[in-house]
Amino acid sequence: MRNLLALFGSSPFEPLVEHAKKVHECVALVRPIAEAIIAGDEQRLRELQHQMSKTEYEADLLKDKVRAKLPRRYFLPVDRDDLADFLRQMDRVADDAEDFAVVATFRKLSLPAEVHQEFLDLADKVVAVSEALLNVAEHLAQLQKEAFSGPEATDVMEKIQQVCHMEWESDKLSRKLARHYYNMNADTVTIMLLEKLCRNLTSIADHAENVGKNLRLMILRK
Amino acid sequence: MTLTILLIIAVAAGFYMAWNIGANDVANAFGTSVGSGALTIRQVVILAGIFEFSGAFLVGTNVADTIKGGIIATEPFSGSVELFGMGMLAALLAAAIWLNVATYFSQPVSTTHAIIGAVIGFGVVARGPGCVAWTKMGTIAASWVISPLAGGIIAYIVYKCIVRVVLNSRHPVYMARMAVPLGLSGVVCIVVLSVLYRGLPRLRLDLPLGVAAAIALPAAAAAYVACRAAIQIRTRNRRIRLAERYIVVERWFSRLQVVTGCYMAFAHGANDVANAVGPLAGCIQIFREHADTVATKTPVSPLLLAFGGVAIVVGLATYGTKVIEAVGRKITEVTPTRGFSAEFATASTVLVCSKMGLPISTTFVLVGAVMGVGIARGFAAIDLKVIRRIFASWLITIPISAALAAGIFMLLRLVLGT
Repeated sequence: MRNLLALFGSSPFEPLVEHAKKVHECVALVRPIAEAIIAGDEQRLRELQHQMSKTEYEADLLKDKVRAKLPRRYFLPVDRDDLADFLRQMDRVADDAEDFAVVATFRKLSLPAEVHQEFLDLADKVVAVSEALLNVAEHLAQLQKEAFSGPEATDVMEKIQQVCHMEWESDKLSRKLARHYYNMNADTVTIMLLEKLCRNLTSIADHAENVGKNLRLMILRK
Repeated sequence: MTLTILLIIAVAAGFYMAWNIGANDVANAFGTSVGSGALTIRQVVILAGIFEFSGAFLVGTNVADTIKGGIIATEPFSGSVELFGMGMLAALLAAAIWLNVATYFSQPVSTTHAIIGAVIGFGVVARGPGCVAWTKMGTIAASWVISPLAGGIIAYIVYKCIVRVVLNSRHPVYMARMAVPLGLSGVVCIVVLSVLYRGLPRLRLDLPLGVAAAIALPAAAAAYVACRAAIQIRTRNRRIRLAERYIVVERWFSRLQVVTGCYMAFAHGANDVANAVGPLAGCIQIFREHADTVATKTPVSPLLLAFGGVAIVVGLATYGTKVIEAVGRKITEVTPTRGFSAEFATASTVLVCSKMGLPISTTFVLVGAVMGVGIARGFAAIDLKVIRRIFASWLITIPISAALAAGIFMLLRLVLGT
């Protein structure tokens, strides 16, 4: 029986939840960065970018910890590739958030007041998408305990639908913002950088949606 | 004089084997119950003691008969029966030695495989491969493959049913209150049937199937009703929040798991006592009763089964508690619903095999059952490498214990000059 103990490998699902939390910590920094961009506070931006890099690095460490638990010798209750994909997409969310922070430090931007509100709205929406995703991912460990079925699974499926819906909303916001900034009176470099920032923001939401879809596959498949 | 010495050695070796079985394998049955806090160590010793002993005493005879007289044909030994007795002694010693060596290198080894290998080993050396009942051996070998598969399939079905019917339902707690008595009555039905149907003739327990079923089914029904009533009395009708339901269901199953633990102990006693008592019975028949021929047909005496049962309980009480504690502390992955599914499947498979006189490895069946629950998405990560290692040690155990038994047998012959 002592040998049977070794039969139960350590679960990859709890560290996966840890990773998801860390990734959301990265995304949560998006809002203060957006505020600092509008305020044109370069000092603050550099600080935030530094903090972002640190958090993203910690998320990477957690990611490696999960990866270490995924060799073929373990028999998992979900498709291994789905799980690896989940992790990869989650990692991209953190990467996009870091890119956003880095791009923000390239040049001092002075955004015209007309786009301020829309820019903040987009940032908020993206953070909300990530938050909704975290809300889903946090259930992963519990889902495993309940064999990926039951009321908990139904609940999670609904929440994933919400994430997808919010991603669509963030897309709408970014389009609206794009129509605005391509037509405003500002220098080309500002518009270019703003476009880059927006692209990073929507990319966060995109990848968050992918994570949700991956989780859906994990619940359904097999 | 020499015969008396051999007899004493045989009894000691038999006792040691049974002690070993009690010390190492009872954790299979109760490790999870201790881990979940459903039982204390002292309660486990009492329950496991009662059920290991009853299993060994009431159902142990079939497998013991197989090991004693079903694997090696006894006719070639007529005229020199003491050879047969010495061989059985050599088998006991070989299995005991190999178990110790394997445990030292922390290899998962099955007592069953060791003893069967050893019996074949001495048979081949004593009277050539012709005296081994290969058809019977084929059946046994097949049962070694089929029993883990059966355990796995049953565990899969049971766990899937629990998930579908209880956990997935809109009222999981309500469904659990139905499922738990059902599980209990299933256990009661199978155990009663196994004891009564072709049971011990001396206790007049060898009833035909119809009569046995006529007693077992009402007993199961009574267990169901009693359990339902007990649950009705103990539950307050309060609303349970969604998040808590899962925990409440698991708590109900953790109570049921105490029953399946006893069931496991019963089945384990029934099958594994033979590993010690089967060869010992052969020795005793020859050394003590000075039998001229090896009587294949005489069943192993209940007294000997009781001896084996007591030795198992001693092993459990002296060393098994440590193993159970160690296992219980670490085994958090197995929640009560999973533990119930795996244990129910294992115990049922082992008990059926015991009735058929097939010596199988309880641990192997349990591994199969764990895998079954795993396929039903029950576990976070099952280490397939460990399964491979268990399989490998199974493969090497048989030739090694056979060679050991052959060596010891020849040594005994040399020393005694026969």
